Amino acid sequence: MSKNFPPERIRNFSIIAHIDHGKSTLADRFLEITGAVDTRKRQAQQLDSMDLERERGITIKAAAVSLTTMVHGEEYLLNLIDTPGHVDFAYEVEKSLQACEGALLLIDAAQGIQAQTVANASLAMEQDMTIIPVFNKVDLPHARPEEIEDELENTLVLERDLAIKCSAKTGLGVPEIIEAIVDRIPAPEGDPEAPLRALIFDAKYDEYRGIVVYLRIVDGTIRKGDMVHMLGADADYEAVELGKFTPVAVPHKQLSVGEVGYFISNIKRLEDVRVGDTMTVAKGERAAALTGYREPQPMVWCGIYPVSSGDFENLRAALNQLKLNDSSIIFEPESSDALGFGFRCGFLGLLHMEIVQERLERESGIDVVQTAPTVPYRMVMNDGEVKDIHSPGELPDPTQFQEIHEPIVTTHILVPATNIGVIMSMCSERRGKFLRQEHLSANRVMLTWDLPLAEIIFDFYDKLKSGTKGYGTMNFEEPRFEAAKLVKLRILVSGTEADALSVICHHSDTQRRGRAVLKVLRKEIPRHQFEVALQAAVGGKIVARESIRALSKNVTAKCYGGDISRKRKLLQKQKEGKKRMKNIGNVEVPQKAFLAVLSTDDS
Amino acid sequence: MSLREDGVSLYVHLPYCVRKCRYCDFNSHGYTSQDLAAHVEAILQEASLRAQDLAPQTVFFGGGTPTLLGAQHLARLLDGLEEITGFRQSAGEVTMEANPESLSAEVAAAILQGGVDRLSIGVQSLNNEVLAAYDRVHDAKEALAAYARARESGFRRINLDLIYAFPGQDPQQWVDTLHTVHELGPEHLSCYELSYEPGTSLTRLRDLGRWQEEDPERCAALFDLTREQNAAAGYHSYEVSAFAQPGEECRHNLAYWRSLDYVGLGAGAASWRQGVRSMNLAKPEDYERVMGEGRRPLAQQEETLPDMRVFDHLMMGLRLEREGVSVERMKRQCGSDAVDAILPRLHEFVARDLLRVWQDQEGQRFCTTARGLRMLDTLLQELLPDDDQLEV
Repeated sequence: MSKNFPPERIRNFSIIAHIDHGKSTLADRFLEITGAVDTRKRQAQQLDSMDLERERGITIKAAAVSLTTMVHGEEYLLNLIDTPGHVDFAYEVEKSLQACEGALLLIDAAQGIQAQTVANASLAMEQDMTIIPVFNKVDLPHARPEEIEDELENTLVLERDLAIKCSAKTGLGVPEIIEAIVDRIPAPEGDPEAPLRALIFDAKYDEYRGIVVYLRIVDGTIRKGDMVHMLGADADYEAVELGKFTPVAVPHKQLSVGEVGYFISNIKRLEDVRVGDTMTVAKGERAAALTGYREPQPMVWCGIYPVSSGDFENLRAALNQLKLNDSSIIFEPESSDALGFGFRCGFLGLLHMEIVQERLERESGIDVVQTAPTVPYRMVMNDGEVKDIHSPGELPDPTQFQEIHEPIVTTHILVPATNIGVIMSMCSERRGKFLRQEHLSANRVMLTWDLPLAEIIFDFYDKLKSGTKGYGTMNFEEPRFEAAKLVKLRILVSGTEADALSVICHHSDTQRRGRAVLKVLRKEIPRHQFEVALQAAVGGKIVARESIRALSKNVTAKCYGGDISRKRKLLQKQKEGKKRMKNIGNVEVPQKAFLAVLSTDDS
Repeated sequence: MSLREDGVSLYVHLPYCVRKCRYCDFNSHGYTSQDLAAHVEAILQEASLRAQDLAPQTVFFGGGTPTLLGAQHLARLLDGLEEITGFRQSAGEVTMEANPESLSAEVAAAILQGGVDRLSIGVQSLNNEVLAAYDRVHDAKEALAAYARARESGFRRINLDLIYAFPGQDPQQWVDTLHTVHELGPEHLSCYELSYEPGTSLTRLRDLGRWQEEDPERCAALFDLTREQNAAAGYHSYEVSAFAQPGEECRHNLAYWRSLDYVGLGAGAASWRQGVRSMNLAKPEDYERVMGEGRRPLAQQEETLPDMRVFDHLMMGLRLEREGVSVERMKRQCGSDAVDAILPRLHEFVARDLLRVWQDQEGQRFCTTARGLRMLDTLLQELLPDDDQLEV
């Protein structure tokens, strides 16, 4: 596939779907049916290129693939821009959508429309994109396509006749989807004669080739050897290599209007590549910038510290590298008494945070300790100054501020009608304010509550899943700040305050929260040769206490001639485990304990 | 007879068992009757290759279940080994492990005749429910009968293996078991705390939540109780889990704990000779196949650097709570530099009341205090050389 296609033979589309509704499987079928991948050689789920994505079964990074196919006797170029499907990743979905004219709205025919599906479809509709509803897994015995057609009309106001029924697993209906992509999604519009104007919608770092930029050509043509200019970053680069993913990278001499591909220029300066930036020509008449992306709003913050203090600069480099293809990460240096020098990082959500931590360790090999996540708080100081804080440590003395505001989100929760009770009481326990209840169909209900974000970022989603046998889904709107009575809960380990373990919580909740945190700490901190006292305090008042009894015996019962090497290796492994711990006073605290403050269970 | 520092011991592994006990992580395998004769020949072949005229100072037949081979195969093994190594003349102790169900009078007579002078019987518990939970083949009555048979056959030195800290075990029940055993009067007792080794059925059950591991505090209490009860009955503790009447310590095991040389024959057997650790192929069929090609069935070999030798020496030697380790011996085995390098660390432990130091005719010795012995693994972790020095 080395030829260039005129815009009218190009379709740019993405697939938006809830997690597990079969997006990656459908993408695999497209690759097969268009001959892009040899069936014998394919590895399941081609588009998820990161190990981590495959393991978790979710797509973290958008990927773009170009496919060619014959429809109505003509050859078309279909650019599939894959999008993530989890609640945390609305920002990435938005970026991917901006590079497309249409989207497949993939819905599991058994599970139906989920809160996330509604949110992503709305995103696409706001951008005037063509939506093709696709019901997947229609071959499953418990599929209920008629009900889902009702849901489609009731929630998204999409006509039921538009929906295509398919099974991504067996390939049923897939040719019809391809035909619909060509027939219904508009061809890209752009001026081939105008100066180059391209959208940078993604990027990744390659050790040998520098930063690989993913771009969508809006106007004009880019040719190998051209000098280009990044408008936002104000930097010039030469197009050393251009190409498309099919799904392996195939070099092309040029990319023109409507095409999607990659750009390589041995770029090493991470700050020069900004996702959302516009690329144009370096010399002559430059194009105007495309509508920029909205800056991501980090709503979950936590501290990330290198286990070994010598890794601080390496950690900074690793975070910079991650930011390159995940521009939603925000970080700034901070220090902690217990943990030394590290970074305070902002994430879109809790899953996003976990993934970043794992990617950090996996891709950079740096061992890190992560503190419990917190939401941002807005302080109104005595002099009227308003300032935002991102960690409990920043909370000023109560005499210095008038008010503290916390983020509140309007939350939509879709649940089976039979589970309303349990979800309602769950929301009310979490300081929620009930707004309304709507029926989507006979069996499904959408509940709308105002909830403090701090109450939902930790385990709300898990509790929702377990309270609805996995059927409940949720989505929340942009947060707003409202005043609340919040205090800092301090944690002391053997009398030493562990600043990295403190949390901000509601004043009525300190005892329960304190007990829950200490309970988990007692479980996670290994026994020492002395007794370890654990305390939770608000100001000078102790609200909960626990203790870890001293280790009184630690000796292997059996050790003979055949056990020596194995025994030595085992001790070595245990010692390695200890190295990964952090000291608070003279107590060794494993990394997991720093997340203990997440626990809201007091059972 | 005392152990010579330049002497060598011989270990022979017999890898077959009727079935695998739940806690067992030893190299044991199922078998058919045809396997046994061929396997004996393979071991003898390895002996000719590696133990010709070895003249070991101690011999130990372990497993698996050696007695399961039966009188005829065992006689063949013992005679063959005698021809190759001359152990009957050289060895001051020849032990064989035995399980109650396979220690028949005939087997006992045959091995005594063949040169075995000490038996180690796997009793484990005298509670039938506990034995069943461990998946043992025998019950308490059979264990007592096997002990009686061993005595009648003329064995003067006998060890009994016992396990404690069964989940929820009543300390009094354990004391009763010990009293019953004390009355039998074996020369030696090995009392092990039940341990959860990776890959065992017991560990799997525990991880699945179907087996509750005993509380560490209760384990520690049972550890102390065992020592008190054994001491009161005349069995002094000389190692973490080993107890003996005066002069009845297991010399073969002492050789391990003193880091003396040993040659291991048979599937999965480990050897330590002249600074090299090695291990045979673990699967009996692999072992026989390679042996059949006339090659040594080696699975892995580890050259040890001085730092690691010192560590291993301490890891084994500090288990001996009375004699501990001799600095001079350690220097002869591992080189002075590596020993000098670690001495300050050992003195730190003395200051922390985990070790004590004294002089005997050989020079300076270190051994654990009561607390040091209980915390030996913690202490050893602190003594481990850095990993890059350990990886060879």
